[in-house]
Amino acid sequence: MDEVIFLEVLEGDSVQARHRLERFPASVGRGYSNDVILDDPKVSAEHLRIERREDGALVLRDVGSHNGTFRVEPWAPLAELELAPDTRVAVGDTVLRFRSRNHRVEDTVVGPAPSAPRTRVFERPRTFSLALLALLGGSLLEGYLTNYGRTDWGELTVALVAPLALVLLWAGGWSVASRIARKQFHYRAHAAIGALVLLCGLVMPMLLTLVGFSLGVGGGMPLVHHAAFLGLLGWGLYWHLRYVTRWEPGRLMRVLAAVTLGFGAVSRADELLGNESFSESLDFPRTLLPPAFRLAGARPVDDFLEDTAGLQEEVDALAKEE
Amino acid sequence: MFAILLAAVLAQAPVAPVEPGPPPDAGVPEAAPPVPLSALPPATHELFKRIEGRVAQVRIIERRSGTRSSIGSAFFVSAAGHAVTNYHVVSDVVIHPEDYSAELVLRGTSEPVPVRLIDVDVVHDLAVIQMGTPVTDFFALEDREPPQGARLFAMGNPRDLGTTIVEGTYNGLIQDALYERLHFSGAINPGMSGGPTLTGEGRVVGVNVATMGNQVGFLVPVRYARELLARALQAKETDAQALLATVRTQLLDNQQRLTERLLEAPPPKHSLGSYHVPGRWSPFLKCWGDTPHDPEVPYTVTNYQCSSEEDIYVSSNHRTGVVAFLHQHATSQKLGALRFSALYSALFAQDPDAVEATRQDVTNYRCKSEFVDVGGLPVRAALCLRAYRKFPGLYDVVLRAATLNAGTSGVDTSLTLAGFTADNGRRIARRYLEALSWTK
Repeated sequence: MDEVIFLEVLEGDSVQARHRLERFPASVGRGYSNDVILDDPKVSAEHLRIERREDGALVLRDVGSHNGTFRVEPWAPLAELELAPDTRVAVGDTVLRFRSRNHRVEDTVVGPAPSAPRTRVFERPRTFSLALLALLGGSLLEGYLTNYGRTDWGELTVALVAPLALVLLWAGGWSVASRIARKQFHYRAHAAIGALVLLCGLVMPMLLTLVGFSLGVGGGMPLVHHAAFLGLLGWGLYWHLRYVTRWEPGRLMRVLAAVTLGFGAVSRADELLGNESFSESLDFPRTLLPPAFRLAGARPVDDFLEDTAGLQEEVDALAKEE
Repeated sequence: MFAILLAAVLAQAPVAPVEPGPPPDAGVPEAAPPVPLSALPPATHELFKRIEGRVAQVRIIERRSGTRSSIGSAFFVSAAGHAVTNYHVVSDVVIHPEDYSAELVLRGTSEPVPVRLIDVDVVHDLAVIQMGTPVTDFFALEDREPPQGARLFAMGNPRDLGTTIVEGTYNGLIQDALYERLHFSGAINPGMSGGPTLTGEGRVVGVNVATMGNQVGFLVPVRYARELLARALQAKETDAQALLATVRTQLLDNQQRLTERLLEAPPPKHSLGSYHVPGRWSPFLKCWGDTPHDPEVPYTVTNYQCSSEEDIYVSSNHRTGVVAFLHQHATSQKLGALRFSALYSALFAQDPDAVEATRQDVTNYRCKSEFVDVGGLPVRAALCLRAYRKFPGLYDVVLRAATLNAGTSGVDTSLTLAGFTADNGRRIARRYLEALSWTK
């Protein structure tokens, strides 16, 4: 083995600490007299020693440790071991690996040309505050407009507090994930994304309902709502995950497209399979808005009744199904 | 709605000519001067004894369990063993002939006799069944109306307690009824269905069919039983398919009759706020209205509804032959247009109670929704249809409409037609829509 070797303290597959050993004998243990100190309670104060033998080979020797020293592959207790590159040895709960100076490392990963780090719109402090304000305002307005009874202050308070609490908790969850995976919380970015998703979730159905009413769309709006919801879900997850994983945007997008489409298909599986349970409900759009919102023209009564001829065929076909 | 009696047995005396003089009576010893028979207390026990043999219990047998699933009553009307009962007593045999059969238990015997279903009148809730063996004692059906107030006797087997005779009074035809019924003021109870109601002389006046409780009972006029019997006596072999076809034809004829009655004249215009809406279109419709007064809410909603309040029993879970509509006029001085539209949408989202039916009877609804111009009044309208599975060509039709001419007032309306052809449904819906207008 080469003159200089490295002792690596492993944690799983990754290296927790790396010590350069230049002089021999080198001692390893928990005590402060050692060359390499291991903070492992199961390691003895004087645990092992690495010496150069007369023939020049490096030898690891247990110096009477309490819990012993073990070779990892194959697993065996040892008193003395000749060190070879990549030898792994277990002491207490710690695994040590020895490497020589000429250990070959893998080729450098060729990355895209680095560019100056760009502050995304979510990371700007103003984005978060504007999104949150818009969300709270929208929620309050929605609570006011959809309540046709007496003003219910309790309900309006909930309309304010609920989205606020939801955004903060939601961002908390994601930022913990970011911290674990990328060592940084990105709390404000996650909160801004969460607020924008909720805002869209509030505004989008209103807009779709408005469009559906204005144009007099007779059916099919539930499908559009579903598609819009899936799109929003995919968008939100994409940006949250950009702050959690290090995946390439392309890969992330492919994965999320598969996930959201799969989720969408599963949640509509009944319909896609053509299973319709018996129901006495009437399925047609119920939204009524002030007359000024109506863009589609009104048809004469005769035309409307003529249009219903198709219904008869539809239900006749249903009656024959069973 | 009336409760239908699932078992009724009633026996009646033979049709004796009206004897002059006082009837033999235990309770009135000094009854010397001759008084009209109907004014005298008849000897109920004698009547009962005379006719008890003509009444039998009908049992509907579910084939797999081999035991009765429901009971009713019937009375003999021919020497060939024909007996009249209610359609609703034997409806399981009509609709599911593969699962159910009928049998009769005669008075004084315990052995049931299998019977065949010969013919039905689904609209008037009557059926004729026939026993294989001839009978010697039976009622001759004649159509003579007793005076109002006449004492009548209903016979039947209420709740399977045994043959019972119940006294009551005759109160003529129910006024403005869609399906003709006699009003009998006496206790008719579940189990007496299909039994006869008689005069003191033992003449059949009607067939027990339903009760509203509190001594309000309903009878099918004997005239319909006579007509059905005449048809049944000519009938050849009937199979299950033919019976279903008969029911279908009767339902089709009935909806045609109803449609013609409705289309005789456009519906009267009833004023509701600043709108005109279809009012009491035909005498058979009963109309009610109300405005809940709640000072706390910033709007008022006035209801106006009309309904035939009667239906035709097709099977235990399926009713038809219904006409009903409901208008809800909403208006507000305090709400803005957007908040009012939330209220209006909520009203429009509530549908009237559906006519009872199950998956075996009908399909799901399919709807068509559009903006419609009703004589200059813009309306959001939806027409929904569901088809009857066993009776092709018949549908339940629901029309929903809401006026869209004003920001803070409007009329939301719904029309329910059960058991109509699609064409008749559309014809009625058109007349109905055309009766909507704005008066300002």
